[in-house]
Amino acid sequence: MWQTVYNWIDERIELKTLQAKLLNEPMAGGARYAYVFGSVLLFVFAMQVVTGILLMFYYAPTADHAWASTKYIMEHVDYGWFLLSYHLWGSSAMIAVVIMHMSQVYLWGAYKKPREMVWLAGLVLFLIVLAFGFTGYLLPWDQRSYWATTIGIEIVDKVPFIGDFLGRFLRGGPVPGALTLSRFFVIHVMILPLSLMAIAGVHLFFFRKAGPAGPFKGSKRELETKMEYFFPTQVWKDIVAMAVVFVIVCALAIHWPHELMDEASPVASDLNPEPEWYFMFLFQLLRDPALQFLFSGEWGEFLGAIVLPSVFLLLLAALPFIDRNPERHILKRPVALSSWLVVMISIAILTIRAYQFRGE
Amino acid sequence: MQPRIKAKVACTDREVGEVIRVVVDPLTREISHLVIAAGGRELLVPADGNLSAVTDQSIRLNCPSDALAGFEPFRRADYLSIHEVEIPHLERHLDVMPGEVLVPLPELEKNLSRRSFFTKFTNVIGAVLALPLVFPVVKYLIKPMYQPFDNDWLKLGKVGQATQVDVPRLVKFEKTVREGYLERKYEKSHWVLKASPELRKKIAAEPSEQEFRDSSGKVIWTNDPESDVVIFSGKCTHLGCAYRWRKHRRFGQVFVCPCHLSVFDVSGKVLDGPAPRPLDQLPVRVSGSGEIEIIDMEFKAGRAEQVRIV
Repeated sequence: MWQTVYNWIDERIELKTLQAKLLNEPMAGGARYAYVFGSVLLFVFAMQVVTGILLMFYYAPTADHAWASTKYIMEHVDYGWFLLSYHLWGSSAMIAVVIMHMSQVYLWGAYKKPREMVWLAGLVLFLIVLAFGFTGYLLPWDQRSYWATTIGIEIVDKVPFIGDFLGRFLRGGPVPGALTLSRFFVIHVMILPLSLMAIAGVHLFFFRKAGPAGPFKGSKRELETKMEYFFPTQVWKDIVAMAVVFVIVCALAIHWPHELMDEASPVASDLNPEPEWYFMFLFQLLRDPALQFLFSGEWGEFLGAIVLPSVFLLLLAALPFIDRNPERHILKRPVALSSWLVVMISIAILTIRAYQFRGE
Repeated sequence: MQPRIKAKVACTDREVGEVIRVVVDPLTREISHLVIAAGGRELLVPADGNLSAVTDQSIRLNCPSDALAGFEPFRRADYLSIHEVEIPHLERHLDVMPGEVLVPLPELEKNLSRRSFFTKFTNVIGAVLALPLVFPVVKYLIKPMYQPFDNDWLKLGKVGQATQVDVPRLVKFEKTVREGYLERKYEKSHWVLKASPELRKKIAAEPSEQEFRDSSGKVIWTNDPESDVVIFSGKCTHLGCAYRWRKHRRFGQVFVCPCHLSVFDVSGKVLDGPAPRPLDQLPVRVSGSGEIEIIDMEFKAGRAEQVRIV
């Protein structure tokens, strides 16, 4: 029966060839667990779409109802607490896997010719993922959301020339309020998902056109004999990794469900506002006493919040054009390896210090 | 020269058959094997080392015809067609097609000026459709972004309640704002300070901070430097968080912002942390009955200079 239907469709749209083409992607050196991150990201994103759509069944994106509707999802809708918590932990998983994916590509030298455009499209996706985290953070409209957004937009305001316009554009006014929520909502549920899907498509297209980079060592002969197609071994490894991530996110959502704070209010309270863990290092950079000589005052603010992150992102974008040595073995690229270590260790130290300074 | 499909195959002694297929390595994208039909059998011949001369029409193998039996028979089931595998840039490496397959342009399309006219016209119509939308869309999106300042006086309560001199007190008040379609009441808070004459003098030392302007830059209010009531805006001048009055390990009783740890003394001066300017004062007046009234202004955070935004 199914075979008949399948054949009927195949006769009209060449489904078999299409399917074969999608699955038969030659991978030098064979399938590996090191290559699962891209697929895992796609899976995490798909789950964010599913849980996000489910949350919208009860969520009301207006300043007078956002908090109450979130509370309703958390406390009254069956399994609402789980879906909301999954969505929140899913966003953390997204960032964590993005960092692993980018690190893998970086350490494997997979951004080098002819894969520069794959890397650039990936970088745009990275920014979209960060924007997802930032805009989603406001939607519960609790104290944590309100203050993180207040600070975040004040930082946007420091961009030269267009900062004031951008800040007002995001807030829908001079200060955060009801219209900020509307704007963040439409950005979070329409603009970013559509952009992400489009650019992820472009990213994959570029990747398929340029071909996978494969291992960074091993003789040509070795890579050829171990060659495998994407299906079935790599698909299997991808699915295993997806299952692991799914179980971890579920466990986190069950053990640490989201805690909704009091409703957003500009009144001074005992709350210590802070961003999500993945923005903590930037937060700490601006307040760390050891770095105050650099990042205090108007110019320090600009240096720490705008110049430093922009320079870092521009360097990432320029990476495949600066580093044109075809050598891909990580131990033969001491500059690349040590810069990765320096960046990762600095971020780790700042993040740890951010938690140590909590509530000082 | 690459071996061609249909090319005649000859051994060192005689012609044996023709090339009917080629096998490509998916990684190197080079031809790795030829499939040769010879004497009713299909044989798999490695391209490496077995070919001595290749032309458009013919291929010469460097073995005698009786050695052909040594080659593996070709099994179609072990292979996929190149249409079923995604191999980047295969066409650039491969030249085995017997020739190009062509489709003629429609008669009408052969006229070059007609083609370029339609291309240009399509762009013009696109622009005609899109351009009139740009202005309305921009206006639509920026509608709430720039609003006139609110210069109304708001009541904060009686001075009498702020009994302790030189100890700031957090005062909460309700504010009704209209944000687009929504009229909303919410709580805000500022700090009220009943200052001793010495402290008041210290606070008044910055004359520019006593003057408040409207959007045109006209001074609309000047705080009375003799009045003992001072209001500090509840917003930290660093990035806009709500700060507190706390005991600090190093500085004693001070204002501390919980976000980025800026520290201000009771006169609003920055003692520590990243804040770029002292705390903002607000326009304040005290009515005959002792009622404190303010204009609830807000200033841009993170700037050394005060820039009013509300």
